Amino acid sequence: MYSFDFARPTSVADAVAALGQEDAQALSGGQTLIPTLKQRLASPSVLVSLSAIADLKGVSAEGGTLSIGAGTTHATVAAEAGAYPALAELAGQIGDPAVRNRGTIGGSIANNDPSACYPAAALGSGATIVTNSREIAADDYFQGMFTTALEEGEIITAVRFPIPEKAAYIKFQQPASRFALVGVYVSKGAGGVRVAVTGASNDGVFRWSEAEAALAGDFSAGAVEGLAAPSGADMISDLHGSGDYRAHLVKVLTKRAVAKANG
Amino acid sequence: MKDTFTMDCPQPRLLDETHQGVIGTGMDRPDGPQKVSGTAPYTADNPTEGVAHGALVRATVTRGRVAGIDRASIANLPGVIDVITDPRMTRNPAQGMAGEAPVQPGDAVHYHGQPIALVVAETFEAARDAAQRLKVTYTTENAAVTPENGEHEVGEPDAAGDFQRAFDSAEVQLDREYTTPSQVSAAMEPHAAIAEWKGNEVTLRAAQQMVRFNKAELADTLGIDESQVRILSPFVGGGFGSKLGLGPEAAAACIASQKLGRPVRVVMPRQTVFDCVLRRSETKQRVRLGATKDGRLTAISHDDQVSNLDGEGFAEPTSQASQFLYGADGLSFTQTVARIAATPAGSVRAPGEAVGMLAFESAVDELAQELGMDPLELRLKNIPATHPLDGRPYSVRRLADCLTGGAERFGWKDRAVKREGDWLVGMGMASAARSNMLVKSAARVRLTGDRAVVETDMTDIGTGTYAILAQITAEMLGLPPAQVEVRLGDSDLPGASGSGGSFGANSAGSATFLAAKDLRGQIAERLGCAVDDLTLQDGRARGANREVALSELVEAELTAEATIEAGETAETHFSSGFGAHFAEVAVNEWTGEVRVRRMLGVMAMGRILNEKTARSQAIGGMVWGIGGALTEEMVNDSRDGHVVTRDLANYHVAAHADVPRDMQVVFLEERDDWANPIQTKGIGELGISGAGAAVLNAIAHATGVRIYDFPATPDKVIAALEAKG
Repeated sequence: MYSFDFARPTSVADAVAALGQEDAQALSGGQTLIPTLKQRLASPSVLVSLSAIADLKGVSAEGGTLSIGAGTTHATVAAEAGAYPALAELAGQIGDPAVRNRGTIGGSIANNDPSACYPAAALGSGATIVTNSREIAADDYFQGMFTTALEEGEIITAVRFPIPEKAAYIKFQQPASRFALVGVYVSKGAGGVRVAVTGASNDGVFRWSEAEAALAGDFSAGAVEGLAAPSGADMISDLHGSGDYRAHLVKVLTKRAVAKANG
Repeated sequence: MKDTFTMDCPQPRLLDETHQGVIGTGMDRPDGPQKVSGTAPYTADNPTEGVAHGALVRATVTRGRVAGIDRASIANLPGVIDVITDPRMTRNPAQGMAGEAPVQPGDAVHYHGQPIALVVAETFEAARDAAQRLKVTYTTENAAVTPENGEHEVGEPDAAGDFQRAFDSAEVQLDREYTTPSQVSAAMEPHAAIAEWKGNEVTLRAAQQMVRFNKAELADTLGIDESQVRILSPFVGGGFGSKLGLGPEAAAACIASQKLGRPVRVVMPRQTVFDCVLRRSETKQRVRLGATKDGRLTAISHDDQVSNLDGEGFAEPTSQASQFLYGADGLSFTQTVARIAATPAGSVRAPGEAVGMLAFESAVDELAQELGMDPLELRLKNIPATHPLDGRPYSVRRLADCLTGGAERFGWKDRAVKREGDWLVGMGMASAARSNMLVKSAARVRLTGDRAVVETDMTDIGTGTYAILAQITAEMLGLPPAQVEVRLGDSDLPGASGSGGSFGANSAGSATFLAAKDLRGQIAERLGCAVDDLTLQDGRARGANREVALSELVEAELTAEATIEAGETAETHFSSGFGAHFAEVAVNEWTGEVRVRRMLGVMAMGRILNEKTARSQAIGGMVWGIGGALTEEMVNDSRDGHVVTRDLANYHVAAHADVPRDMQVVFLEERDDWANPIQTKGIGELGISGAGAAVLNAIAHATGVRIYDFPATPDKVIAALEAKG
């Protein structure tokens, strides 16, 4: 780890101001950033911790929408997002207890790891990403592996999920990290059917539109059966599984997620 | 008094006639409380006054020379003491039982990750930081890093009969190629060393398995006499072969300590353990089997290609067990070694059998399938009368009993593929074999009153040496084991075999037995009876109508030291542990996940000295079997050879969640009179030999498809299922 200055503002405005410094970097739960610093893959001059900003914390449900402050830990979401059970269950399966007690939803969504769970939930629910300056639809927000619509110095303050009629997340875990080798989030609600896939694509989280179309008319596992799995050519191929295997899992897990959503 | 014994003929089974009743029992380890309470001092735990900390600097090129080390680049960092380079530094651990210095490369770089210098600092953190920041320049050369591209050295075949003719004329033929990746030991305790000089003598605390050999390796490395070297390894946190030879961390610690005039500690971070401790070679194996239609094997061939770095004599002995498990009219075994610039290869738990039997016993299973024959029957039918290559009789071999007994216990005859939802459930089995050895070993036993002390430089690497040497001595001298103290891992003590090749208990145990036997003679003399009339039990000696407490009889210390080495029995008879492994697995037809449901190993491995530690060894081996079959895979970058899987997240050893609760081990009663005077055989490695093949054969039974590229990870299972359609 290289040396850096450390700031711990107590308001979003102060945080935004602190992030205006050269080579400043926001720090939330640090579950990705701290190991990255330790490996010397990043060398910010200032780390701006968001952990002391009370406004960024908390879970609330109102009028069919679940709002989660960006600084809320996975453990808190797992415990308090009962109004949206599929999301609470997803949060409870991220990493291990140490990760869940430090990592935050805002940090996960800002980082947009191609194998992270939360991006699938946000895209698969049609969530809205709220920042200090604007609101961004999930469809516009995720722009590729580790790439998002966030501008320099922009901070996620909350994520708003419309609570769907049905939803479920199925993840095939990489056994050591418990990241998704592939994870599929399906939902059926006022906005239609969504199928969001994480862990599989070189472009990060994506919507499997063929499955959405098939499920729109018939929200059953059987509706997915006849589809060809997406092409493995664009899928992540690494030590833990080939692209073809990931593509195969996308279909398998989509069927399972639909079956689970239907109870 | 010193006695040297060569194993030239069978010896009386004295341990069956003594009366203390502790041999073979599942006695708790005497060192157990220390180990579970964290008070057993492993190498790096030893507080050392004034110690400096070293971090190995490692090459970031594949082959070439170190052109320059910019000491100024770290000179201003707080806490940095020095950068040590020295022509005596070593590029990798010595091979097991080398007894001489490993390659000392000077400024040459032979593989990516090779140690090239040691940064010494006041703290570990400062040393590691500086080692990473140190600017090093290189000149580079091209070198092959994959076995396909490396220079191939093809060996002479081990053969009997005319394999080619037998194979060509066989009624049924099977010809298959298998591949296995490199593997690493990844023992729990990383490699560590603390060196301290007094005058021209060095004391090295180190995590080592073979102190007698390591002492010679260190003296040769440093260019000093063995009398100037003392090595202490009383507690070692796992070895699995990775600590057989003196490691670069130990050589570097000694050299730095000498130059700086203060103690130096070097501990390898886990990533360094992966990079520059000897790996198990990847293998490419071709197995050819010929048989008659009724299942008599007529031709057996098991050829392999393994790899190693230039200058390393070791080659994974892949076909070791294939050479003596089954008989045929013609047999042939040829090994090819590819020379590559990558982390060198050496002994990793059950070298040879661990990966060779994955392939060979898979092939035997597939042949049974082709023949429409029960794989158990095929194996039973082909057990040879004598060693197929050299005609030696087997010392004692209960392979058939293991196979049939195991089948009965496991419910083999009722096996049928079951479907449980998405899961396909099947059973597999494999033979187990691991050849047995006796290595020169010495021990001293001292008796004062009713308390004994065993002294040998033998190590306990988690295997239970402290327990079994106490039991042997207690049994022979008629003492409760708590009255026997065992002192290990000090090179000033009589030199033992060390821990390796599953020969430690045989060898060090026999030396201890012989020393204690000598003491029995001395006790009989004092009592005034013939040694055959002596009974020792619970601290009392009986004979010639007298009964005297040892505390009275042995007021002044009695001492005996014994040395054993292999003799004529190793020439006249072939000794090996044998067994049978059974596994039940469930395969998910949609995801390709394989869950091992239960395993059974039935093993005949000579006299069992401690039922608990033996079982622990056997189960540990079977867990390795699961790892080899399903998860363990070391990956090298195909461009520069560097190790990609450098931690236990990316190199997946079978964890609790991968291992079924139902892991049964059954030991068949056996005495190997030709092996050694305590009638034992090696234990640890038999547990792994064949275990993985049982898992793989169960996958084939459950799914009807076979995988030839191990481990059988979910993506390969799915690809095989899809290919079947």
